[in-house]
Parts: sequence; C-alpha cells; structure tokens
Amino acid sequence: MIKKVFEKPISWIERIVFLDFIKGLSITIRHAFRKTITTHYPYEKITPPKRFRGFHGHKVIDGNEPQPAFDEWVGRFNIHVQPGKSRCVVCQLCKRACPVPELFQIEGEKLPNGKRVLKTFNMNLMLCTFCGLCVDACPVDCLFMSDIHETACYTRKDAILDIEILEKIGKDWQLRRENEPDRIWIDDTQRKRLWYENNLSFLEDKK
Amino acid sequence: MAWAKAQDFFELKERFKSLTIEENKNTTTLYIEKEKLIELLKSLKERGYKLFIDHSVIDYPDKKPRFLAFYILYNVDERKRVIVKTWTDNTLPTIENLWFAGKWAERECYDMFGIRYEGHENLVRAFMWETYQYHPLRKDFPLEGFPTEDLPSLNEVLWDDKLSGTMNYNRMHTAVPTLEDLEITEKRRLQKQAQIVLNWGPLHPGTHGTMWFLFDLEGERVFNCDIILGQLHRGVEKLAENQMYNQFLVYTDRMDYLSALCSNQAWVVAIERLLGIEDIVPEKAKYIRTMMAEIQRINSHLLWLGTYALDLGALTIFLYAFKEREKIMDIIEGITGARLTISYPRIGGVRMDLPEGALEVIKAFIDRFPRELKEWETILSRNRIWQRRNIGVGVISKEDVYYYGLTGPVARGSGVPYDLRVFEPYDAYPWVEFDIPVGENGDAYDRYLVRIEEMKQSIRIIQQCVSKLEKMKGEPFFAESPDPKKIKLSIDGIGLKVPAGEIYSSGENPRGELGFYVVSDGSTKPYRVKIRPGSMYNLSVYPHLMKDRVIADAVTILASIDPVVGEIDR
Amino acid sequence: MEGIVANLVLIAIKIVVILLITLGIGAFLTWVERKVAAHIQRRPGPMVVGWHGLLQPLADGLKLLTKEDLFPRYGNKFLYYLAIVMALVPATLTFAVVPFGPEFTVFGVTVKPILTDVNIGILLVFALGSMAVYAIALAGWASNSKYALIGSMRKAGIVVSYEVVITFAVMGPIILAGSLSTYNIVQAQIEQKLWYIWLQPMAFVVYMFAVLAEMGRVPFDVQEAEAELTTGFTVEYGGMKFGIFPLVEWYIEGLALSAIGVVLFLGGWSPLNIPFVGFVDPFFFLGPLSPFFWFAAKVTLVFLFILWLHWTLPRYRIDQITETAWKVMLPITFINLVFTAVIAPLIWR
Repeated sequence: MIKKVFEKPISWIERIVFLDFIKGLSITIRHAFRKTITTHYPYEKITPPKRFRGFHGHKVIDGNEPQPAFDEWVGRFNIHVQPGKSRCVVCQLCKRACPVPELFQIEGEKLPNGKRVLKTFNMNLMLCTFCGLCVDACPVDCLFMSDIHETACYTRKDAILDIEILEKIGKDWQLRRENEPDRIWIDDTQRKRLWYENNLSFLEDKK
Repeated sequence: MAWAKAQDFFELKERFKSLTIEENKNTTTLYIEKEKLIELLKSLKERGYKLFIDHSVIDYPDKKPRFLAFYILYNVDERKRVIVKTWTDNTLPTIENLWFAGKWAERECYDMFGIRYEGHENLVRAFMWETYQYHPLRKDFPLEGFPTEDLPSLNEVLWDDKLSGTMNYNRMHTAVPTLEDLEITEKRRLQKQAQIVLNWGPLHPGTHGTMWFLFDLEGERVFNCDIILGQLHRGVEKLAENQMYNQFLVYTDRMDYLSALCSNQAWVVAIERLLGIEDIVPEKAKYIRTMMAEIQRINSHLLWLGTYALDLGALTIFLYAFKEREKIMDIIEGITGARLTISYPRIGGVRMDLPEGALEVIKAFIDRFPRELKEWETILSRNRIWQRRNIGVGVISKEDVYYYGLTGPVARGSGVPYDLRVFEPYDAYPWVEFDIPVGENGDAYDRYLVRIEEMKQSIRIIQQCVSKLEKMKGEPFFAESPDPKKIKLSIDGIGLKVPAGEIYSSGENPRGELGFYVVSDGSTKPYRVKIRPGSMYNLSVYPHLMKDRVIADAVTILASIDPVVGEIDR
Repeated sequence: MEGIVANLVLIAIKIVVILLITLGIGAFLTWVERKVAAHIQRRPGPMVVGWHGLLQPLADGLKLLTKEDLFPRYGNKFLYYLAIVMALVPATLTFAVVPFGPEFTVFGVTVKPILTDVNIGILLVFALGSMAVYAIALAGWASNSKYALIGSMRKAGIVVSYEVVITFAVMGPIILAGSLSTYNIVQAQIEQKLWYIWLQPMAFVVYMFAVLAEMGRVPFDVQEAEAELTTGFTVEYGGMKFGIFPLVEWYIEGLALSAIGVVLFLGGWSPLNIPFVGFVDPFFFLGPLSPFFWFAAKVTLVFLFILWLHWTLPRYRIDQITETAWKVMLPITFINLVFTAVIAPLIWR
C-alpha cells in the first residue's frame, strides 16, 4: 500500500561521460523530428465537442420539442406558441437555478387574446459562470449552450444576448449540430493532429 | 468513518470537568470553555491528535457569547478526527505555539471576524489590507459590502452604449485599497533587518499567481520572509452562505482552478454525507467521478511539472507536459463540456452520462501516457543539474508536517502517508487498488518523485475504473431518492433542503486536503461554510523553509509546495 | 600613399561586410532559435510573416523600434545608455580577429578574410569578452531596480569565474599551435593535420561550458532566470534597447565564441580531419568557396548544439555555477595544461 519513492544516485561513470545529458538530449532531438501537434489558431480551428458550454442560445419551435413536457408547460403558463420563435415558456426556472441570477432579465407579456408570450430575455454574459445549471433547469429544452467560444467583444453591450441573438444562435445550432450523436468529439482533422501518436482508432472508425 | 469515539475522551473528562462530548452522525465534538482551551489542545496533541487541520469561527449574531470557535485535529496514527469547540465573544488564546498553521488560521479569523488572539506574535490581517475597517464574514456584513465609493469604471461605455437593465451596474462600491494602504500593510508584515527588502510579487512569473512575497535580503540570501495574501480574495465563504448547496458547486471550480473536478467532488461528497445519501448514489456515478477526478489529478500534476521545470529552467518539459495536458483537456471537454471550470459532478451523481467513445479515448490516453512520463523522467530525474537544484532544498521534517498542518504530496514527500483516499475513502476509492507514494527526506526532490509516482498510481486507478465502467453501460448515473418528498433530488436540485447539522468532510486534492466544514440550519442555503484550503496551510511552511536560502531556491521551494492562489485566498 | 588608401578601402569594405554579416545573421539567428526551440517542443514556431516566418526578425525589429521609450524614474540616464553601447561594441569587435577562411586573391589583390590578424588575437577576444561584464553591471546599476541589480551581480560573478576558466581552457590549443594569432592557429592545425579537439577533448568540454556561461545560456542563465528575476538586468529596458541585450548576448557573442571555438578546436576552415593523416573534403566541388563553407558549417553546428542544450537542460543555481567553475573546471584545465605540456613537443616536429 505504501510505496517508498527513491532514485539511485548518479554514478561516476555517468558523470564523466555526461550520460544524463546525453539521454536528455537524445529525447529532445527525437521530438524535434516528429510531427508538430499544434493547431494554428486562428487559421485553423478545432470544432468544440457537442457538449461544449459556450454562449447560450434559444432553440426555436420546429416540431422537435420534447413531448409531453413542452405541451404540459405551455398549458401551465398559457403560452402563445409561434413556430420559428423561441420555445421559452417564461417559467423563470433558469433564473432560479442560476448562481448569479442578476444576469437574467426575463419578462413575459400578455397578448389581447389572453395568452402570454416572451417579451424580453436578456442575458448579461459578463456575469455568467458558464456552469450550465440554467440549461439543466430548462424544462422545455429551450435554453442551451452552443459551441460558440470566441466570446471576445468590443463593448460591454455586445456581451448581452437578447432574444434575437439567442434565437439566431439556436436556429444555427439546430441546423448544424442538433442531430449529432452524443459523441465525445466529432471527427476533426485538427484533433487528430494532437492525438496521432496515441493510436486512436476511434476517430477514423466511426466516420 | 474517520471520527474519534466518545469513549476515547473519557480520561480527559476527569482532567477537564467542564468538558462535554457530543457524538453525532457526522462529527465528534468536544466543548470546552475558553480558559481551558489551550490545555485541552495540548493534551490532545500529546495523545496523537497532532496534525492541525483547521480552525475558524462561526458567527451567531443573536447568541451570547456570539462566536463559536472550532479546531479540527487529526490523529494520523489511529486515523481519527475530532473537533474542539469553544464559545467566545471577541477574544481567544492563540495556538501558534502548538501549531504554526494556527497562526495563519488565526490571522484569517481576525481578518474575517475580528476575533482578537491573545499572545499572537504579529496579528495582522490575512487577506484584507490593514486599514480595512470591516470584518466581512460576520453575519451583519452585507453581501454587497458597504457601497461608499464611486467607481464608475465598471460602467465605462464605448460609442454611446445605452446601458440598461442587466447591464447597468451599481456605481457605488466598497472601498478599495490605495497605494498608501498597501504600504501600511507591507510595513506591518516585515521589519527590515538586513540589506534590502525585495517585493517578490504580487505579479511575478515565479509566484504562480498573485502572491506577494517579501524577502528581507542579505546579498542574495533570504534573511527573513513573509507573505501577503489576498490579491485573489473573492469571499467564497461569504458567497457560500448566500448560495444554495448545488449552486455553490460553481464556486468550488474557481477555488483550485487547476483541479476543479477534485474540488467539485469534495464538495459534492460533503453534501451527500450531510444529506445521508452517500449510499444511494449509484455505483456508476461514483466510478465516473473517481475516474474523472484522477484524470484531473494527472492534469493538475502535469501543470505542476511543467511550471516546476520552467522555474528551474528546463523550458521544454513545460511544452511536453502541456501536450499531454491538452489531451486531458480534450477528454474533459468532451465529457463535461468545459476545460477549466468543470462543474461536472452533481449532488447525487454526475451531470451527464459518459458520451459515446469516451472510454476508448481515455484508454488510448492511458496506454500512451506512461511512456511520455518515462521520457520526462529520463530528462529530469537523474539529471545532475536537476538533482543539485532539488536534493536537500526545502527539507520538511515529519514533525514540521504536523506543526504546519501540511497535507497532500507535501506531507507524503516527508514520509507521512496521509492520503484521504485511503484514510477516509469516498466515492469509488475503497474499491480500487493503488499505492500511496511516500518520500524519505522531505526535500523538493522527494516531493517531485512523489508527484511523479502519484501520476502513475492515478493511471492505475483510471484503468480499474475504465474496466468497471465498460460493463456499466446504460446504468443510472444519478441518485433516485427513495423518499421523493423528503429530499427533492431533481437534476437541477432546485431548493435542495439539507437537514440541520454539521459536517467536516474532505477530499484529497492534488494540492492537499480540501476540507469543507458545513453548518446547515435546515434551509436550502448553508449557514456557514469553512473551506480548509490545502494550499494555504502548505504555504504556511514557506517562510520557515526560506530561512537562509537564496532567491533561486525560492522558486524551487515554492513550486515544490505547489500552491494555487485561488484556493489560498478563496 | 596609394598603398595606404587601398588598404584603408580594403579595411572599410571588410568592416562593412563583417558588420553586415554579423548583425544580419545575429538578427536572423533569433528566427533560427525560435524554430529550433519550437520543433524541439513540437510546435511549428513562427509561420505567419514570410515563408515559414522567415521575415519574423524584421517584424520583431519593427515592433521593438516602434515601442514606447520608457525610462525608470530614478535611473541614471548616462549609464543606462552607456550599458547598451558597452554591450554592443565589444561583442561586435570580437569579429575583428575571427578568420573566415584562407587568403585568396581578387582582381590581383590578396585578401585575408580577417579584419586584423593581430598576433595576440585570442588575448583580444577574451579582453573584449571581459568588457561585457561592464555592460551588465552598468545596466543593472543604472536601472535602479533590485531585480536588475541582483541579475547583474549574478552575471558579473559568473563572468569573473568563467573568464579564468576559459583562458586556461584555450591555453592547450595555443601551446600546440605556438601562436596567439587566430589565423596562425588554424594554419598550424592544417599543417599539423590535426584538429586540436582530438588532443584537447577536456579543454573543449570546458570551453563549451564556459561559452554557455559567458553567453548566459542554460544551464547558466541565472542572470535572467525568468522565474526568479523576470529578465534580470534587462528588466527596466524596453523596446529596441531591450532587444539589443539578447541580440548581443545570445547571438552576436554566441556566434563570436562559437567561431573562436571552431578556430581553436575544430580547425577553422579546414575540412573533415583524420588525425595525423590529412583532410577529407566531400565538398571539394565548391572550389575556392569550400573553406568558407566549412567554417560556416562548423560554426552553425556548434551554435545549434548550444541551442539544443539550451532547450533541454535545467538551470544551475548561482553558487553552484561558480562552485563548478572554481572546483571542477579550473582543476580540469590545469590537468589539461600539464598534459598538453607533455605532448606538445611531439606535435611540434
């Protein structure tokens, strides 16, 4: 159970012929002639995995909502359903789950026909910790985190996502990655560059 | 469990008439009045409870006396832990003669609660600057602080931004230190006795974060040394009191940000123990957590190895270590969705099941990794320069381990086999086999070897976890509560009510014992969370080790202790 | 009169050529170093500016030149600038006595590709080498920074120790050649059909270590030691003023000392050597350019070896460095000296 760690002292022979240096030098020179493993950002980019927690987005109503949860929550909050618009039912659960609730600004609106609809949904991502608790809380699979990771912006205003941006991210996501399998990464030549010496057959197999 | 039994202290009861022993599910507590405290602690130390774990104070503003101070001690030989508690109004006797680590804990209590310690050698603030008037962890200190100063910079706008709604921050803030304040702080710490005082930090590549070291130098020899902490202080303990149990998980990421998963795991396990649901957490979740924590441990040790080598001038090892670290990051990113602030475990399980292909990738990684490790060892371990820089530098004796409250690889490097994965097993650790590496001399070289060996042992653990998990496809990864009304364990865990009680539970972080002392009053938010940062107590030995060494050794010793400021300052 | 003018013109041409070559190559070596380091570390290195980042030194230089000029508040301005001059001039002057090849004739003029073949060439090299310590000490003092001061004092300690060692290390080749002139030392090696490394391996190892120490390369780069002293004595220099120090220390001085090492131990411009038998030149087809090629190739190899060491080894502590110098290297050079004295008459013939 308990293992003593130690290292033999360097012998005189090793010292005189610089064996320790030579061994180290032989390793570094071997590395020097192997392939490089880096990705030349921003000219080349790695596709983040599907589970990546990047900028938030709102999935829109396209007929693939989780049922029966969606109808149940729509009924409970009496929501006016508009295809192509956000799935949000203004339940405020994301705000409740959030460690920094101030970052959400969610307001509903009552339509003349008595139904309710989402009016504002602002997220100030300057305060966000990207923990994903809000996504876990969302009962209708509306709020999600996309693979957008280049989040730098010039003004503080750009760090606020309003409902238009959120829907745009959501539509884009539904188009690109919604139907991907739940795999650790998708096929990516850049990822192979780092992993080539690990004999990872996995990435090629599942094409 | 690793707690002492009440009968262990019946002898002491004869000596201390006022001693009351309280044994409950999660803890064993000794209550004593303030005057007898030192005597009791001394006799406990003689009885083998010699490893100092933690000391702090709980504030009960409605009670009289107001503060409940607690001291957590550990008996390494018999593997037992005990809490000593005492009530006080504003003063306590100092324990710095018994445990040096107590000196730092007392500074922190003085800083955060305003407790005066009688006989303390240099009672200065631990994190805040000297001229700061408040004691932030007192319950009557509001979470927002006292907004007395106008700091418009937070609302700085470009191109006529219309700031509204969530964007419009409050312009008023709590006072921030000025240069004069910092100068006063510095003067209080160290009186110049030798030639020059070198400000090593707060922003310095060798300090691995924002730590402010003061070296009183004679030539290049360090005559005296002190450390000013707090540049990264965010008041995590205060935040914990205002966050729900599941939400606080996010803040554990940001403490020891290099081993976020291990911190997550320690917190989650602590709350599961407090809830009493440790047994109903599914086996699969436990294996996943263990495996991920070990991957994170390798990750953290790789960063240590890289920066350690960088500090000692071996620049290439840094990139080699980061090459492997990048692979680990890829794995963690693919499984959890984040690279650094992971927040993957949840109270009652894990956030998501392992994705398709995760185990294959992990297997491919651990097949290759030992070879890479061997290469680095060939470059470093037996290199004469490496050995001369490390052997005999920063020697920590066994007694010092207890005196300074050291844990983790630093304690193991000195030959104390203190490993919580074995002493107080959590998650899947009791079901996997691994060795505890211990060093002999307690110098920087031994700590280096211990960490290298720990990576190899982590590989062993991961291998065992992977082979188990391969057979567990499709099993549940989240606890189903047998009584859904009593504990609402949904995946988001909104409104997780925790029964009143207290617990000290700790996990073996790559940098030492990360303990959580949680006091619950039965609501959804903890009443008090005291975090026992392994890095902070490990760092407390630093001024002792730096006596009579040169500046070049400062980086060696600091890197071999491997502190992370996020955890020290919290 | 005409002879003097012709000579002056010749010398001027030589100076311009040597300066262009050394400074140009010195700047270009930053690219070489970055590429070598990158590939050892499995990175591609600079790739954006020019083909494989070939124009990167220009971009770096432009960036350094256009940076804001900062000066520490309580620094000594005169010494601060003097340090730069003191660093640049002696290091460049060393090339005055580096022979790049054998005598050749162009347009009827016999040219020795060496600026001044003084008969105390080697002595001049080490005299100029010791001047470098002034630059460093001044830079450390004038900056009014504790880090700079500690760094410069460290470097001064190293230079003082290793000047002694390096001088004794080169005694061997000097005795064997019987001359202090760099040109004559190479000639002697060619005449004796012997690279002195075959008889002086210990001196060569010691010389290489001393070169590393003088250049401030790993394992002796304590004066900069990023992790301890940020960048040591250059910490208060900015822009091109900062750029000159590494340029001088790592590249120009490194190049000069590598060249002197080639001259002393590897037979200067002579081709591959079989001891006591003769020389084999696989590049004979280069004709009269072959010696220059050999000289450049040898210097490149020595320099690349230094880079290779730099990117592999950890760094010594300052007391360990001086200890090694006085307790290990100096005795070795003494033993080598005695050994040389014994075998020298056999070589002289």
